[in-house]
Amino acid sequence: MQKGHQHPLTQMISEINSIFAEIGFVFAEGPEAETEHYNFDQLNFPPDHPARDMQDTFFLRSEDTKEPMVLRTHTSPVQARFMESHEPPVRVIVPGKVFRNEATDATHEAQFHQLEGLYVDKGVHMGHLKGTIEHFFSKFFAGEVEVRFRPSFFPFVEPGVEIDMMLKESDSKLANKWIEVMGAGMVHPNVLKASGIDPEVYSGFAFGMGIDRLAVMKYGINDVRDLYTGDLRFVNQF
Amino acid sequence: MLVVHNWLKDYIGDSIPSAKEIEELLMFHSFEVEGIEKIGEHEVIDVDVLPNRSSDCLCHRGIAREIASITGTTLVNDPLQKEVQLQETDLISVDIEDKEMCPRFTASLITGIQVKESPQWLQDRLVALGQRPINNIVDATNYVMYAIGQPLHAYDAEKFPQVDGSWKFGVRYAKEGEVVSLIAEGGKDEDRDVVLKGTELLIVDQSSNTPIGLAGVKGGRFAGVDENTTKIIVEAAHFDASLTRKTARGLGIVIDASKRFENECSRELPPYAQQEIIALITDIAGGASEGTVDLYFQKKENPEVIVRPATANALLGLSLEASEMESILSRVGITVTKNADHFVCVGPWERTDMNIEVDFIEEIGRVHGLNHIDSVVPDTVALTELNARHYYSEQVRDTLIELGFSEVITSSFRKKDKVKLRNALASDKGCLRSSLTKGIIDTLDKNAGFTDLLGTTDTRVFEIGTVFHKTEESIGEYVALSLGVRTKANGYNPKDDVQVIAAMEALETKLGASITHDIQKAVVEINFTELFESLPVPTAYEPVEVAEEIAYTPFSVYPAMTRDIAMWVQQGVDIAEVSKVLAGSAGELCVRITHVDAFSKDGRTSLAFRLVFQSMDDTLTDEQVNPVMDTVYQVAKDAGYETR
Repeated sequence: MQKGHQHPLTQMISEINSIFAEIGFVFAEGPEAETEHYNFDQLNFPPDHPARDMQDTFFLRSEDTKEPMVLRTHTSPVQARFMESHEPPVRVIVPGKVFRNEATDATHEAQFHQLEGLYVDKGVHMGHLKGTIEHFFSKFFAGEVEVRFRPSFFPFVEPGVEIDMMLKESDSKLANKWIEVMGAGMVHPNVLKASGIDPEVYSGFAFGMGIDRLAVMKYGINDVRDLYTGDLRFVNQF
Repeated sequence: MLVVHNWLKDYIGDSIPSAKEIEELLMFHSFEVEGIEKIGEHEVIDVDVLPNRSSDCLCHRGIAREIASITGTTLVNDPLQKEVQLQETDLISVDIEDKEMCPRFTASLITGIQVKESPQWLQDRLVALGQRPINNIVDATNYVMYAIGQPLHAYDAEKFPQVDGSWKFGVRYAKEGEVVSLIAEGGKDEDRDVVLKGTELLIVDQSSNTPIGLAGVKGGRFAGVDENTTKIIVEAAHFDASLTRKTARGLGIVIDASKRFENECSRELPPYAQQEIIALITDIAGGASEGTVDLYFQKKENPEVIVRPATANALLGLSLEASEMESILSRVGITVTKNADHFVCVGPWERTDMNIEVDFIEEIGRVHGLNHIDSVVPDTVALTELNARHYYSEQVRDTLIELGFSEVITSSFRKKDKVKLRNALASDKGCLRSSLTKGIIDTLDKNAGFTDLLGTTDTRVFEIGTVFHKTEESIGEYVALSLGVRTKANGYNPKDDVQVIAAMEALETKLGASITHDIQKAVVEINFTELFESLPVPTAYEPVEVAEEIAYTPFSVYPAMTRDIAMWVQQGVDIAEVSKVLAGSAGELCVRITHVDAFSKDGRTSLAFRLVFQSMDDTLTDEQVNPVMDTVYQVAKDAGYETR
C-alpha cells in the first residue's frame, strides 16, 4: 500500500512542538470561537483603541451568545487563559487556527495558523526571548540562525519588537538574508495582572508568528490558500 | 506618515543625517521605513509610525525629535520648545457642552490677509506629501498639521456672523437625525450630507446653532475661505480620542485630522499650533493677529513614574549603568529626577504614551539599541504536561497515513450551517461548520479524478479540525475527526466502505479503544475530543524529525490526459529501465509514468505503463498529445520492445 501524505501545517506543528518540548514548553490550546474578553480585553486592547484596527475581526451574532464573541484573531488569548489556570513558571506554545476578516489573495487567507509562545518566570528578560527564538529556528531550519530585534508595538507586550532571522552558512535558499518572521516582546504588566500574576515578581516574553508563512519560507509555497482547499495535488507533494 | 527630508532639516539643522541614514536609524530604534522616494526636488521618507507613537510622531517635528533622541543631538529649531506668546482677545467666545470630550478650544483672529497661491517652497512640500495646494490659508493649516501634528481649520470671519461684537463658537452633541454637510473628500467632487445619530460632537455657529463641522473629523463649507477673504478665524481644538474614532469610523471617514485626534495628540498642542500658524500666515498672506481665545478646561499632565534601573536591566537583559540610563532618558526629552535606587521620570508633554515604568524601560532599550541584547537559551526543564489532543492526533495520522490516507485542512466556513457570523467575508462563507463531513465529501469529489495524475489507486483523505455548534447561551466547539474513501472517479461505490471499515478497525487497534461510529457512503466522522479525553493520559511524545526542505512545485490547474502503453520485453528486463526509456521520449508535458501491469508468458514479459500529460498553460488536446505518443512508441520499438 502506498502511504498517504501528512499536511505540511500539521507536520510543521509536530516539529515545532518537538523542538519546544525539549526545552519544556507545553503545547497549550484554546477555543477558536473566543470571547472578546480573552481576545482583546485581557490582552490590554482598550475598547475603541486604534490598536483594534490592526486586526479585522469576525464577530459572532450577539443573539447567539450571552457574552460578546469573535473568531479569535490570534492565538494570544490562550496566553491569558493559561496564565489564569497555572502558576508560574509558565512555558507554553500555542499553535492553532486563527481568523481575520480580510480580502484573500496568494499571501492572505481569512483563516490561517499562528504559533504563540509564552515564558513567564522570575527574571525572564529579552535575552531569553532572543535565545529561545534562535534556538527554535536553528533546529527548525537545521542550521545556525541569528535573530535581531527591531522596535514594534503590540498592545499586550512592552517593549514590543519585530524579529528578523538570518540562516547562516547553509545551502538553503533562505540563507544569508534577513527575513522578518514574527512579532514579540515582554508581556505587558497589565496582561500579567489581568491573569492574576504579579508583575513585580514575575516577567515574561511572548511571541507570535504565522505558521503558514513558515510554510511559504520552508517550502516555497506560492499561494497560501492552497493550504486550505483539500487539494491533493498540493498535499501529496509533502 | 510621509516625511520630507528637507523639512526635517528645518528642525535638525545642517547636521541632519541623509535619508538613507535616517531609514537605518529609525528601523533599528523607532519605526519601520517603507521606502524613500524622490518627488520633485524632495526626498520623501515613508515612515510606518507605530500606534503608540502616533500621538507625537505623525508630524515632521516628531520625527525630527525622534532622530535627535537616537543620535543624541539637540534640535536647532523646536517649535514645541518656544515660549507661547499669544495676545488675548474677547472678540471670540466659545461655549462647550461637554468639557471632557472637548477639553480645549483655541481660535485666533487674523485680519488684513490676502488670499493667493502659497509660495513655491510651501506648495512643493505639500505636493511631496501627496497634497494638493489650494490657497495660502488652507495650505497653511495643513502645513502646520504636518509640521507639529495639530489639526486646524480656517473660517472667513466676514461670512461668520458676528453677534453683539463677537464671533460665537459652540461645541455640542448632534441631535438625532440632524444633518451636517461635509466638504467633499479627496477624489470626490460632491460634498457629503451626513445624517447624525446624536452621539457625534459638532462645532456650531452658536448664534444660529448651525453646524459648521463634525468635531475632530471634518469641516463643512460654512464660512469657507476664498480669494476675497481678508479676515479669518483659525481654530485649533482638542477632541476626545475615542469619540473621534467612533464618529470617524462610524461614517467611514479616515482623514489626516481625525487620525491625529484618534491617536490622542497632546492637548497642550493648540496654542503652539496657533503660534506657528499666525507666524506662517502673516508671513505668506500678510495681515496681523488680533488675538487668540484659549479655553482649557481639562488639563492632563504626564504622570511622575518611578523607574528603577535594576528593573530596566532585569527586563531588557542588559547591564547598563544608572548614569547611562539617565543620559538616554534625558536625550528622549524625559525629565529625570535621581534618587538612591530609582529615577522619577516624566515624559515630554507632547507624548501621551509615557505612563508606566515599562514605557520608560522600552525607551532605554530601543534608544540604546536592541542589538546589544545577548541571547540566552532558557535552562532545559521537563514538560509539566502533555497535550493529549496533539498526542492522539499524531497516532491517528500515523495510522491513517500508513493506510494511504492523506491529510487535508479544509475551510472552517460554510455557506449554510447553524452558527452564523455577524460579518461574513462572502455570502458563501457566512457560517461556521458544524461537521467535517461536508468538507471531506467535497474533497473526495474534487480529488477522485486526480488518481492517475497523483499515481494513486484511489482517493483517501482525513481531517482533524474544530467544528462549532450553538449551546444555550454561547457557541460551543469540539475537535472532530473525519475520513473518507473514493475508489471510482464517478462517485460513491459500496466497495469504498470496505476501506473505511478497515481504517476504523486500525484506529481502534492503535488507540486501544472501541470507537462508536456510523459510516455514511464511505465517510465517517467522530467527536475526537470525546474520544481522546477517554484515553489514558500520555506520558511522552514520539520524537519528530524536522522534515527536509523540499521544493514545492506549483501544480497545474488544467486537466490531465492519460495514455496507456503496453509492450513485450525480454524476460528479466528492468521495469525501471523501461520506464526511463519512455520518460526520455515523452517530453515535458508528461508529468507522470506509472507502471500499472506485468505478466510473463512464453519467456517474454508484458509490461503496461500509464503516461499522464498535463500543461501548466492550457487544457491539452489530442493534437498535442498524439505526436508525443507516436514518438514514445517509436522510441520503445527502437529500444527493442514490441509494443502492442
